[in-house]
Amino acid sequence: MLVLFFIISLAAAFLIAMFGRKSKLFCHLTSILATLSLFLLSLYALYLVNKSGVIVYNIGGWIPPLGICLVLDGFSAFMLLVLNFISFIVAIYALAYMEKYTDKYRFYCLFMCMITGMNGVILAGDIFNLFVCLEIASVASYALVAFGTEAEELEAAFKYIVMGAIAASFILLGIGLLYAYTSTLNMADISLAIAHKGFNTVILLVSVLFIAGFGTKSALVPFHGWLPDAHSSAPAAVSAMLSGVLIKVLGIYSLVRIFFNIFGVNQIILMILAILGAISILVGAILAIGQWDLKRLLAYSSISQIGYVILSLSLATPLGILGGLFHLFNHSVFKSLLFLNSGAIEYATGCRNLKEMGGLKEKMPITANTSWIASLSISGIPPFSGFWSKLLIIIACVQANRIGLALIAVAGSIITLAYFMKVQKVIFYGKLNPAFDKIKEVPVSMRLAMIVLAVLCLLGGILFIPRILVYFLKPAVSVLLLGTNYAFTVLGGVL
Amino acid sequence: MRNLLLSSLIVPFILGLVSFILPKKNKTLACALAIIASFATFIVCIAVFMLKSKFYLDNSYIYTLQYFLVDNLSAFIALFIGLFGFLIVLYSSGFMKDKEELNKYYAYVLWTISASIGAVISNNFLLFLTFWGVLGITLYLLIAMGTEDAPASAKKAFIIIGGSDALILLGMAAVFQLSPFLEISRIHIPLTNNLAVFSFICLALGAFAKSGAMPLHTWIPDSAETAPTPVMAFLPASLDKLLGIYLLFRISVNIFDIQPNSAISLFLMIIGSITIIAAVMMALVQHNFKKLLSYHAVSQVGYMILGIGTANPIGIAGGLFHMLNNAVYKSCLFLSGGNVEYRAKTDDLSKLGGLAKFMPVTFIAFAIASFSISGIPPFNGFVSKWMIYQGIIELGKTGTKLWPLWLSVAMFGSALTLASFMKLIHAIFLGQPSAKKIDDAKEVPAVMNIAPVILAGLCIIFGVWATQIPLRLFIVPSMQTHLTFSGMWNSSLATILILVGLLIGFIIYLLGSLKSREVRQFIGGEDLEKNPQMNPSGAEFYNTVREIPLLQFLYKRAEEKLFDIYEMGKRAVFGVSSLFSYLHNGILPTYCVWILLGMIVIMLVIL
Repeated sequence: MLVLFFIISLAAAFLIAMFGRKSKLFCHLTSILATLSLFLLSLYALYLVNKSGVIVYNIGGWIPPLGICLVLDGFSAFMLLVLNFISFIVAIYALAYMEKYTDKYRFYCLFMCMITGMNGVILAGDIFNLFVCLEIASVASYALVAFGTEAEELEAAFKYIVMGAIAASFILLGIGLLYAYTSTLNMADISLAIAHKGFNTVILLVSVLFIAGFGTKSALVPFHGWLPDAHSSAPAAVSAMLSGVLIKVLGIYSLVRIFFNIFGVNQIILMILAILGAISILVGAILAIGQWDLKRLLAYSSISQIGYVILSLSLATPLGILGGLFHLFNHSVFKSLLFLNSGAIEYATGCRNLKEMGGLKEKMPITANTSWIASLSISGIPPFSGFWSKLLIIIACVQANRIGLALIAVAGSIITLAYFMKVQKVIFYGKLNPAFDKIKEVPVSMRLAMIVLAVLCLLGGILFIPRILVYFLKPAVSVLLLGTNYAFTVLGGVL
Repeated sequence: MRNLLLSSLIVPFILGLVSFILPKKNKTLACALAIIASFATFIVCIAVFMLKSKFYLDNSYIYTLQYFLVDNLSAFIALFIGLFGFLIVLYSSGFMKDKEELNKYYAYVLWTISASIGAVISNNFLLFLTFWGVLGITLYLLIAMGTEDAPASAKKAFIIIGGSDALILLGMAAVFQLSPFLEISRIHIPLTNNLAVFSFICLALGAFAKSGAMPLHTWIPDSAETAPTPVMAFLPASLDKLLGIYLLFRISVNIFDIQPNSAISLFLMIIGSITIIAAVMMALVQHNFKKLLSYHAVSQVGYMILGIGTANPIGIAGGLFHMLNNAVYKSCLFLSGGNVEYRAKTDDLSKLGGLAKFMPVTFIAFAIASFSISGIPPFNGFVSKWMIYQGIIELGKTGTKLWPLWLSVAMFGSALTLASFMKLIHAIFLGQPSAKKIDDAKEVPAVMNIAPVILAGLCIIFGVWATQIPLRLFIVPSMQTHLTFSGMWNSSLATILILVGLLIGFIIYLLGSLKSREVRQFIGGEDLEKNPQMNPSGAEFYNTVREIPLLQFLYKRAEEKLFDIYEMGKRAVFGVSSLFSYLHNGILPTYCVWILLGMIVIMLVIL
């Protein structure tokens, strides 16, 4: 069953590339059907994990240390659900949004390739396949950032490629060293080998390479240089994917998987991650508040929110991991929604500069209300979803006796509130710019996507009800808490 | 009982939702719905209060749901939330009649009522915080419905309130660390270690922001000019005071139990005193009466904090009573001020004057509330201030040297309050009519006078029968301790004496009026010769205060918003932000260097 995640998305990409040029309808239908079925599959995967624990699929029937395997555990199931849910919503949104671009079939093809890559990263059971899938997703995203082919987009994509390539070479170097040290590429096997040989300087060097490499992918400060340009130049649907899932799957998922499950929890590395997280929170938020370009502001805000996730995960306490993962999910929802809102505003007005906007509330009520909900949610105002994850993060910080980190988290959230209130005020309140007198609310498919996400922000608190939380997040949390037990569960049949 | 309690939350919420989705055209329907809903809520609150007091002697916690708890304090505050909610809706039905989006306005007001009641009766910290957060949202939405500049001040208000919510969250996390419970009634933490002090200060800052104490007060004067007047009367003037002081009371009496003469008590008293003096000084020189009133709304909070800061029963009871009194007279002032604005279409003092004979009811309500806020016996403000003074004197008995300072600050603040209300009454109601004639100068529709008259009546009742009604019913039961009054003010007797005095004065006046005497026009104690151009309308009273050397310096800085923590924070953050933006020059090699540098630093740390 796990192979289906690859097959569906890759097949959709190929089909669109082959037949999509002629028929727009075909592109739309294929992409929607593919993402919908992936979403349903990931729901089923979550159900399976809850019912029967970890699932290992050996490709070609070769047993794990020898052959390639796919692993579905609680953490992967959770990430799959986030990824495929957001991509489904974005696919709906793109139906109308991509109308203004030419060569739409290429967009859908690249889009599906990106999804293939991310599904692969999440399911990969060996570290080299993780790397390959990560590159598939990255290359597709480079192309998608450049999709507008104006000077700005191309420049952003170029920067993104260069920095992405640097990151990839770090990661590859790290994998090479790891292979030389442990003589295996299977992640579970690496874990066993490290446990056997001890945690020494080689592993520390590899850790540094991985922090830099995956840190660049997840845009932690100071590795974040590519993100503001890439996020703000890409089409809004792509920005939503980049910010909503790409940086999380390529960056956070890989980082956490490697440091928690393969290398085992190490205090120095956790401390470094906590510091990086705290710096990202503050720097991202402070940079965001000075921006007047809507999408750039949202991009910086992503840096800051990723900081929260990393900060919380780096506490490595049950509550910290729970808060981090919950925030990861919530951030996917509200940040995608905000990027979709920015796309809707750009679609209607053709402009991204906050200084030229104002009074759009009357003209675009659905965009205004959904973006209001998303803003409150990201600022952590109760009862919206962001509040609950922020609550968990702060309680976790205090419980871990890190009052300083808790204060940084609070300061970050106050600044976040401030810049989102600024966004709300300048876009939706105040005087309408006469140039926008004739604008209309966006088409149905875009509205639908925004409304679904907004409802999820509103209901985010419901996930907080213990019984649902257990079903949804507990498997993921327990995977991370058990740490290097990962190896035994994956290789269980073999050893 | 359980259903009754829940219905006080659900009724306004659901009817608010109905009003929210009503078509925009149905203004009358929305208004009628809101009046019915708020009245029903008020009745439910009365019922909760009455049923509770039947069991008063047995136990001060009457009945407990899993997440809600009503004790004497929350029942009494919920009662007044219901009352103010109803009065404001009633008043709005006249004042807001011609505004747009009335269905949304009433929806927000009803949600505010629901969330406020929820906040005071919830016993679970998380639930409390949720209701508290919703209040911030509705506050934003309500302020933003005002004039064109309103969104800016709404934004400021929400950033301060929402930011302080994050602090409350942090304080709550620390409380949760110190105590295994999340039920507020079960948390008792001694203020002995640093974490406890830290969490008290976080929670207290949240209470300060809500009630508008310095240094987190700056959203109130800013929104005063732009928000709709009933909103000012509703939120900053009454509900936010009730809630903010409710939180302060809960944390300092129930959760942490502060001791007299402790550092925390000193901290509260310093904040209280600064708030009293600084805000009243700002109020003295305002030209816009809503802004002037809003500075008083800040200044009065100082008394409540000072009272609670004394940490002895009489002072705390005084603080609590002052909270109630302030909510009553301050919303009365805003509402009767709103009447003036409704007719005169301006809130600039220099354009008003001589309205007393056109709007007698408004004038009398306003005057009573002014006497009350200035602490003139026999009105209610006097009684609570007197209790706070007693608290300070009690504190003096325990050996602190500072009590004369607190006492003189409180009394001086009271005198300045009286002075600024003299200015206000003179400028609006007495004095010369302004140069620009007010066309529509007549009494407002009766529906807009109901609320001010009821509130002014409460000012008198709570003053004259202070011990019999408010103290016996509301304040003393909430305290959960026995109160001893060292020098109780026998208000009924005093009232009779004052009345007799006035009567004698009136008789003397009648006798003496046979030969009247010329006096110079009274202009608030200012010297007319020095200010020949002074407009005797009253708007310019006390401008000479600005000229006093040190104060001149301070006023100037205050007008540059140098004492505004929000503006200062904004400047600091934007300063750092532009520095960071400068570093992000968009040049690829720079970013690549960062990646390398970052990696090298990490490598140095690890290896």
